[in-house]
Amino acid sequence: MDIDLIIRSIPFLGEAALMTLALAAGSLVLGFGVATLLVTARFARCKALRGIAVAYVSVMRGTPLLVQLFILYFGGPQVGLVLSPFVAGTVAFGLNIGAYMSEGLRGAILSVDKGQNEAARTLGFGRLDTLRHFILPQCAALMIRSLGVNAVILVKGTALISTIGVVDLTYSSQRIMTSSVRPFEVFGIAAAYYMLIVFGLTQFMRAVERRFALPEEVRE
Amino acid sequence: MKMHAWISAAAIAAALFTFSSAAEADDLAKIKEAGKMSVALSGAFPPMSFVDESNAVVGFDVDIGSELARRIGVEPEIVTTAWDGIIAGLVTGRYDTIVGSMGITDERKKSVDFVGPYYRSGLAIFVLADSPVQSLEDLKDKTVGVNLGELAEQWATEHGGWKISTYKGLPELYLELTSGRIDAFIADDVPVLVAVKGGEPFRQIKAKDLPIWDIGIAVRKDNPELTAALQKALDDMMADGTYMKISDKWIGADMR
Repeated sequence: MDIDLIIRSIPFLGEAALMTLALAAGSLVLGFGVATLLVTARFARCKALRGIAVAYVSVMRGTPLLVQLFILYFGGPQVGLVLSPFVAGTVAFGLNIGAYMSEGLRGAILSVDKGQNEAARTLGFGRLDTLRHFILPQCAALMIRSLGVNAVILVKGTALISTIGVVDLTYSSQRIMTSSVRPFEVFGIAAAYYMLIVFGLTQFMRAVERRFALPEEVRE
Repeated sequence: MKMHAWISAAAIAAALFTFSSAAEADDLAKIKEAGKMSVALSGAFPPMSFVDESNAVVGFDVDIGSELARRIGVEPEIVTTAWDGIIAGLVTGRYDTIVGSMGITDERKKSVDFVGPYYRSGLAIFVLADSPVQSLEDLKDKTVGVNLGELAEQWATEHGGWKISTYKGLPELYLELTSGRIDAFIADDVPVLVAVKGGEPFRQIKAKDLPIWDIGIAVRKDNPELTAALQKALDDMMADGTYMKISDKWIGADMR
């Protein structure tokens, strides 16, 4: 164990962890936007919209994220789209996690008994009002839980950006490893930082989930 | 030094297709106007470019690139980027030059122009210091490590008579040899010899007919003024002793 190297690397990898955080935050915001659009399209009356959403989700979930990143970053310039590595990563990760998130949101909505929807509509509520006042309150906690799971997957997935030279946690540790040839120490610290980010994220999502959970007596 | 970056090949072809049609002014004028020249390198190839103890990117390539920029009258800006796609990044305008220990090959000359060479490098075969292996013959049917896409991989494949394992960087080769997963590795001589001097327990095996090649500075095609200015700056620093000073500092030898 090279204690000196560990002590020296902690602040540098801390900076790199901020890069990973920024990347994850940007991707999550974009991903949530994409997921909202997708799930709206999935429940739209228009058949074409539903088809587009289904196709998008199958492509995004059916191909490796690393390949999607390469297509955007290396293939982008071919069609005149020259993105910085950071932006390419944020966009690729956001578009990808959006597909997974939308499936989680959809699953949560479908978990609410169909009779609830029919009853509300029979009482004269519109589609949107039914969603807002009857469906969403019943499935919000479930939605948040699935968003949380996807957010954790995304944080770990951002490590892929090391392949295109962004100095995130993974690439920064690779560089320090290249000079020091001490992989156990360096990647160990990186793993600890990822764990810290994921732990913080899970705690936050749990708190949000509790806030939206239905009171005990309403749940069956 | 790394000979084929497969991932970047398609991107380069694509980028050339998109950008070759646009006739533009010489890059030299643009660099002078901006007041800085951006220099791309991997930052993961000690002692040419690597992060030091304060996490700053330093090394032979960094000093050469910075000195070149100053000699054409602008500030250097060091950009670290992944080796895969480093040429595509130059062609698409993400930076002005690559001073990244890149071997001058015919294949690369199709996409970029080269200034230099600024040093020469060759392949070498290394085993553990206490290994019984003394010659190439002793490595028959043993396992040899090389880096994916480098000239070493090509040479090892053509040579034949051993098992080849491929990796993605010198540290991996060092670790694999030390842990005994491979019996020898073939790589660029300069960085490994510097690492041996720094205490890595390896020994070079004498072998004839290992290839040597020129290392150059890559610029975008069709920039005669920039190419000439950089070549002159390089010639000047070789003539007045600056080059030797940098070479001495990082390598401890003249590599021309």
